[in-house]
Amino acid sequence: MNWRRLRTLMRREVLATFRDPFTVTILVTVPLVALLLFGYVLSTEVKGLSLGVLDSNRTSASRRLVAELSAKGTFDARFYTTNGELERGLVSGAISAAIVIPPDFDRDLRAAASGRELPEIQVIYDGGEAVLAGNAEGFLRGLINAAVASMLAEEAPQVAGARPAAVLPAAAAPRASGVEVVTRSVFNPKLDGTPFMVSGTFGFVLSFLTVLITAVSIVNEKLTGTFEQLQVTPATSVEILLGKIVPLGAVFAFDVVLMVLIAGLLLHVWPVGSAIFFVLVSSFYVLISLALGLIISATSATAAEAVQKSVLFSIPLVQLSGFAFPIRSMPLVVQWFTELFPATHYIRISRAIYMRGAGPLALLPEMALLALFGVLLMTYALRSIEARR
Amino acid sequence: MSSPQSPVSRRSFWSNVAAVAYKEASVIRHDKALLATVFAQPVMMLLLFGMALSNKPANVKWLVLDRSHSAISRRFVQDVQMTGYFKPPQPVWSYDDGRRQLQDANALAFLVIPKNFRRDIERGRPRVQLLVDGSDPLSAARVAAYIGQVAAEFATTPLTLAARATSGAESSPMPVDLRQRFWFNPTLLDRNFFLAALAGMLLTNLCLSATSLGLVAERESGTYEQMLALPTTPLEIVLGKLVPFVGLSYGVFAFATLAAGLFFGAWPQGSWLALVLVTLPFVLASLGIGVFVSTLAHTSAQAVFITVFFIMPSFVLSGSMFPYQLMPHGVREVGALFPLRWYQIALRRIVERGAGLTEVLGPVLALVILFGVILAGIRWRMKPRLG
Amino acid sequence: MSTPIIRAQGLTKRFGDFTAVDNLSIEVAPGSIFAFLGANGSGKSTTIRMLIGLLRPTAGTIEVDGIDVIKRPRKVRDHIGYMGQKVSLYRGLSLRENVEFYAGLYGLSDAELERSWGALRERFSLGDAEAEKTEDLPAGIRQRAGLALSILHQPRVVFLDEPTAGVDVHNRGLFWELIQDEAQAGVTVFVTTHFLEEVDYCDWVCFIDAGRLIANAEPEALRLRYSYGYRIEVEVAADARADAVALLGTAGRRIEDTDGGVQLCVPALDPDVLALLDRFVDAHPLARVHIEQAQMTDVFRRVLAESGAAA
Repeated sequence: MNWRRLRTLMRREVLATFRDPFTVTILVTVPLVALLLFGYVLSTEVKGLSLGVLDSNRTSASRRLVAELSAKGTFDARFYTTNGELERGLVSGAISAAIVIPPDFDRDLRAAASGRELPEIQVIYDGGEAVLAGNAEGFLRGLINAAVASMLAEEAPQVAGARPAAVLPAAAAPRASGVEVVTRSVFNPKLDGTPFMVSGTFGFVLSFLTVLITAVSIVNEKLTGTFEQLQVTPATSVEILLGKIVPLGAVFAFDVVLMVLIAGLLLHVWPVGSAIFFVLVSSFYVLISLALGLIISATSATAAEAVQKSVLFSIPLVQLSGFAFPIRSMPLVVQWFTELFPATHYIRISRAIYMRGAGPLALLPEMALLALFGVLLMTYALRSIEARR
Repeated sequence: MSSPQSPVSRRSFWSNVAAVAYKEASVIRHDKALLATVFAQPVMMLLLFGMALSNKPANVKWLVLDRSHSAISRRFVQDVQMTGYFKPPQPVWSYDDGRRQLQDANALAFLVIPKNFRRDIERGRPRVQLLVDGSDPLSAARVAAYIGQVAAEFATTPLTLAARATSGAESSPMPVDLRQRFWFNPTLLDRNFFLAALAGMLLTNLCLSATSLGLVAERESGTYEQMLALPTTPLEIVLGKLVPFVGLSYGVFAFATLAAGLFFGAWPQGSWLALVLVTLPFVLASLGIGVFVSTLAHTSAQAVFITVFFIMPSFVLSGSMFPYQLMPHGVREVGALFPLRWYQIALRRIVERGAGLTEVLGPVLALVILFGVILAGIRWRMKPRLG
Repeated sequence: MSTPIIRAQGLTKRFGDFTAVDNLSIEVAPGSIFAFLGANGSGKSTTIRMLIGLLRPTAGTIEVDGIDVIKRPRKVRDHIGYMGQKVSLYRGLSLRENVEFYAGLYGLSDAELERSWGALRERFSLGDAEAEKTEDLPAGIRQRAGLALSILHQPRVVFLDEPTAGVDVHNRGLFWELIQDEAQAGVTVFVTTHFLEEVDYCDWVCFIDAGRLIANAEPEALRLRYSYGYRIEVEVAADARADAVALLGTAGRRIEDTDGGVQLCVPALDPDVLALLDRFVDAHPLARVHIEQAQMTDVFRRVLAESGAAA
């Protein structure tokens, strides 16, 4: 390998990239936008959810229940007077959940205090918003149980078994008898969804954006004939490959640092583990993604085709890589399939460092796998660069 | 170019549009990349959302440290296992061991049953400890909720009641008998949630990328200028271009709806007519955005980027994949600017909740307004260029 | 000829069922300008790409400057220069930066670069364009720049693939002057083109059609063989016509009467014919002689027709 040739190639790549204002803008804004987008998007906290209330009891007890439910702003109570109205509210999506308080609620409550009957409450969720319902379910249960339990405690002080639970946001630990579950979380005690999404976003950006940008760049070169010209010069395929991905890799590494800072300063999410280690691993992953982009572009005739292929390839990859949707919930066959994506492993590493503070030792197997992928993809990228002989 | 008011041009307006449309359709037929998108993507997304992606916990690895070794503690573990979300529990022999495994993310949850569990139940104060891996907060939260549910209902099983009866202790009843129902989606399948909005996502992708790419590619290859030299007005050209895409969009829409029903049983519960009608303003708005993007981009590579990075937030913020009700307020409103938000609202109402045309008039109105705004934007961008 | 600097034998390239190049054999003498002509799609570009090692032939051997191109494609790169159909200048870079880029790839030292580029810049009138961004350069300058870059590292052989496509007539002429200068200096130039008139700038020409070689000779020889050669029109007053016929008829070709005088065709402009013409003009000072060369298009057409008949 000739260092001068390599330097020449890299210098050109850097010049060309930085002189294109569009590319520069994309390289900087997209990771940031993605970070902010995903950072805010997924949360386990329920706030301001519209809750329909059909109160057939209309006593101070039932009103107290509703008040407790809307107390912390988790739920926004909306009152309906008939079943029909409630139903329409659910259908139209005005409310995402509803509680129906039966006419005998206060009496049942007093009866429950003396250990006889249980007051009954009906809760209806908009299953159409399944994800929402799944999250809201735990909340609502917990709140209702807690509210009723405290009301019972006041009614009949001898029933001391009811104790308010250590309720985690979004975790339901329905209280009173039954069995008390004291729940604690190892890492991320508040079960905050933001660090989860942030660490996943790195995977998204570094898988998707890198592939896109590289794919277009080579195709453009092929179209202007400069790529062919390059193949006739003494430059070897290895030099051409490195000359492309090292500068781009450096740019993306800078992006990673930028994202880490923004995530920390704006979203208050800092890696629990070593930031330097994270940047290093991410930079390596970038090289892998870039190799993939090269492969795609070497097999495309136009820029549009390269992008279509990139998108077609990257979107399922990102969806299946555990970025937003848990892999364990997928069918077993799919789970095995996702292990073939480098992105899956990178996201695992990313989460491990960001949320669990894992160090290089603990992550050795995953990193070795990434290294293996890297070697494979680079080899294939080399082959696709080589003049078609 | 003849003025738009002259009777000659007005008479031939629609025939011009038709002529352009016909030409466009034949171009599309030969555009392999586009066809690949049109056919491959819907199938891929159908598979993804129908079969792979879900937020509902499944195959959860969990650990149990049962210090009680009693029939009732085993019963408790069994009850949790029966919820079906978990893999068979892995027993651990020490607290540290379990905690360490959790830290290494070998399991999502770690249940610790104390030595005196049985006695605690008789006394009426049973308690267990649950440790969860917070680095997967969404799943951890749900899993904790499920275990909590099992725990709450555990008191009403005959065994516990019997235990309580024999000890004669004062039992504290569960405070409330909670009856839960999930309307429209009894098993709370995430799949139905995604599939309902699938058509919206596919159409967004198709309409945006096809038009923006197509127009820019044409501008680059020079055929656009060529068309300007013909006696057609820019408006006729643009409309003529969009017509085949409307047709294509309805094709994709039909595919998404039928496939979701045929393969996954997720048929629309509401009015089909409403579905078809509400799709039109959405398609027009999306196509409009594609046209607008094409006026911003100078090269096709740029067009592609702008498009893709419009589609991404569209998917994320619209509520198609992640519930928008959970987003913080500023972000929620930004999402309302995307046509996909209103379309998926209408889709869900019709498909999942069985709404009819009247119930979706709101979203339709929003879509029409958005379309108007986009048209204005297009005119503003195109004027100096062609004026 | 001295040892050919390019030698291809039995060169064949098949893409599936389609044969792009069929059993092509050519030899190029060092220091000559070798024209490789054919219509679009005849296999020109495929051939040149095989010769420079970008494409592997299905069969045949290639030797360039003593190097087996098929076995060692990389080795040949130091010895050759190439200018593709699309002039490959990098956008976003100035001409000077492009020059430095290629100099770096060819391992030219700063001194060597200054010397080489300095001279080229002069000769090719690229001084003003040096600082310009390449996308702003007009076609004529781009072509010259492309040529300059291909010979920057002073290779012995230069391959030019349709170098004058899209260039106006005036610039084309300039371009060929530069090519001829290079050949004078000893560089072998292998050119493909589909402008048939450019053949006359070259020392040797071969025609390719549907992947097969249908002619391989000097331009003169082809004219000789496949056309009427040269048409000489003599404008002369009616009374001198008989004289013309008498004198020039000995040139050996049919001589005809035309409106303005006489017309005859000769296969070649050899000294005897020219001497005859001189004598005639001396005798008839008012006469005007107009010599027209057979169009290469006609030559080509004839070649095509005959090869088609033979095949």
